[in-house]
Amino acid sequence: MKKTLGRSVPVFLYLSMILIPLLFALERLMFVTGMNPFQAIFHLDEHPLGTDAIVFTFVQAILSAMLTLCIGLPIAWWLGRYQWKNIGMIRAALTLPFVTPTVVAAMGFLALIKEGGLLDSIGIDLRNETGFIGEFSSIIGIEHSGHIIALILAHAWFNLALVIRFVEPKISTLPPRYEDAFRMLPAGHNRLNRLISFWWPMLKTSILSAFVFTFIFSFTSFALVRWLAPNMWTLEALMAVEGGAAGIPGYRVDVSRLVLGGATLQGIVLLSALGLAGRWQQKQSNEIELVAEGYSRNYVGKPRTGARIGIFMATVFALTPLVLMVLASVRLRDRTSDSYRWSLDAWDLAFKGDLTYASVPEALTNSLVYAFGCLILSCLLGFFVAQTIHSLEQQNRPKVAQFIDVLSMLPLALSGVMVGLGVLLGILKIWPVMFSWYALPILPHAMLTTPFVVRILLPAMREIDSDYDDTGKILGYTSIQRFTRIKLPLLKPQLVVAAALSMAFSLGEFGASWILLRSGAWDTLPVLVDQLMSRPKYFEMVEPIAMATATVLMCMTFLLFVIAERFRSHQGGGF
Amino acid sequence: MTLTIKELSVSFDENYIIQDLNLELAPNEIVVILGPSGCGKTTLLRTISGLQVHESGSITLNNKRIENILSEHRSIGMLFQRPVLFPFKDVLGNILFAYKNKKHSDMDAVHSIMSEMGLIGKEQQRIETLSGGEAQRVVLARALLTNPELLLLDEPLSALDVELRRKIALEIRTILKSRSIPAIHVTHDPKEAEIIGDRIIRWNELQHGEDDEE
Repeated sequence: MKKTLGRSVPVFLYLSMILIPLLFALERLMFVTGMNPFQAIFHLDEHPLGTDAIVFTFVQAILSAMLTLCIGLPIAWWLGRYQWKNIGMIRAALTLPFVTPTVVAAMGFLALIKEGGLLDSIGIDLRNETGFIGEFSSIIGIEHSGHIIALILAHAWFNLALVIRFVEPKISTLPPRYEDAFRMLPAGHNRLNRLISFWWPMLKTSILSAFVFTFIFSFTSFALVRWLAPNMWTLEALMAVEGGAAGIPGYRVDVSRLVLGGATLQGIVLLSALGLAGRWQQKQSNEIELVAEGYSRNYVGKPRTGARIGIFMATVFALTPLVLMVLASVRLRDRTSDSYRWSLDAWDLAFKGDLTYASVPEALTNSLVYAFGCLILSCLLGFFVAQTIHSLEQQNRPKVAQFIDVLSMLPLALSGVMVGLGVLLGILKIWPVMFSWYALPILPHAMLTTPFVVRILLPAMREIDSDYDDTGKILGYTSIQRFTRIKLPLLKPQLVVAAALSMAFSLGEFGASWILLRSGAWDTLPVLVDQLMSRPKYFEMVEPIAMATATVLMCMTFLLFVIAERFRSHQGGGF
Repeated sequence: MTLTIKELSVSFDENYIIQDLNLELAPNEIVVILGPSGCGKTTLLRTISGLQVHESGSITLNNKRIENILSEHRSIGMLFQRPVLFPFKDVLGNILFAYKNKKHSDMDAVHSIMSEMGLIGKEQQRIETLSGGEAQRVVLARALLTNPELLLLDEPLSALDVELRRKIALEIRTILKSRSIPAIHVTHDPKEAEIIGDRIIRWNELQHGEDDEE
């Protein structure tokens, strides 16, 4: 009883942290519109762009998720299957897009597709849709198909890490003897049969989960839509642009209706998707004995040429937009002669901070403080939420477990901007003194990253054989000793991954920070990039300074991931 | 008597797996319980060790009622069907798990038992690279270092080939006898039962309360 109560406190705390702001925001919008959220859905078509936005949101999210799987699955397979030199570096490079702030990602892709950019120079003009892309557009009869292709490609680039993170560990930690045993059976004699009857059942849950999460991120993408498909509207983009006028009594009630209906529809779709993913994972979860990943890889051996080429191409794909961004920080345009020169002047100005409230070192310090705070809070809350869900499943209470599971995923159904607004409207309404609290952004950061911690830890907890705990009991270990000396070490790889992801997401989080940061002295690196990008570009150094600032952010994220990967592989037994 | 079990009953979802079971174990005695798979042998061992909750009956170990004591305080060792080794530790690390506080590790005892088990030279070996027989030796070494008052062996040799199984069964018997540790070994292999046990009991006889010797 005491144990259950102890576990319930963090779960209750986390669920309140999510639900209170949401309920306050809902109450306000319902008061302004005079209708309930479900009624508002049926008024979405009253907005001139409403119907188009709904259709485009679904189409681009499904296509993006499909393309991400097409690109990501072979990469996850090669990475998990073969023994790679510097696997930590490769993994970190392929994961980097996912932790790239979306504004920076959009800038990188823009540099790739813009007139005179890399793709345009090889005849693929996705921006102005001339040449081959123009002909393609007229054949399929879809307006702005170049923009749509760029957007879907950018989503695939951004979400590639999700497929790798979900699928690769399954492949690399599966004992090779399972496959060996299957090969001995008649059904396992040929590769196609093994793929259908062995690997698909083994990987199904991870693949479907990766699809769902990619769909969710593409569904709620804003910055990439705004910059890469400027003539198209998704629900998120429409709500973000129009949302400034929402929630004000008697003023533009149509906008409040759009935000209420759009957010409700978005919430229903995303919660259904999350519920589905949770259900698959629960159905498919079984206690599979795992081995250290190095062991499986050593068993299969070195990669073949095809795999080497594939991983090389994937790494180039992952790094190109980022490389272009770095180049843009040192390749300065001289307007008078319309030529380019190489210089570190933009870096010098970025570190001095003359154009912004905070300099790069100051913003970096703020970002790191928020990231460490977020890491501690989200890992603690995420661990206890996952532990509670797992305990409920073991106690044969799957419905309660699934309910908490879906609720804990709720922040994934909200964008950073909405979470920021929710905190502003909700928690600050109850406790306004928090306005002056420097650590305030840690709260929305932890709200946004805790679902990832839960998603990473929960499947791992489900897969831990109960014999480990029983052995601890037999050896005389108390429940606390079993937790610290058996459970935590068994979960260490997932905890390291969860900690690294929380910190990286916090470093790159933009929407909520942008809303909540009340003082220039608190600015984070992404907010600094946005400040610079929003300035008029009369001074030609503005964009390169923004790129230099974004590069610092990239380097921090990259460093974090390399450390995490190294730490993980240097432990005994591969952990 | 070392162990006395009286009228022990265990049920799952109102179905009795064990009903009114009686068993007595003399000091230093090795008893083998023979029975087919799924009859409830594992449930019996899990109940004696405290991993499984019983419905009624009593379990007395060295004149002390233990049925309501937590498994971690029962001083009973147990080997599972599959050797349970911690993947984040090497062979020595797994053996040292016998000591809750590493400062109290008796390295002479560790070395002695590793030598007895033929594990010298494998201290730093990763557990994934051990054979089935070696893995069970590591688990046995770890269990013996806890100085259990009773050792429960839940078909620990079932995954090994016949020859190795019988060889290790003999080794286990020798070690248990040399250390005067009483044990209950469950198996479905009569030959293995003959090698390791002082006394063999068939499951169906046990279930009817008849603690008959073969």
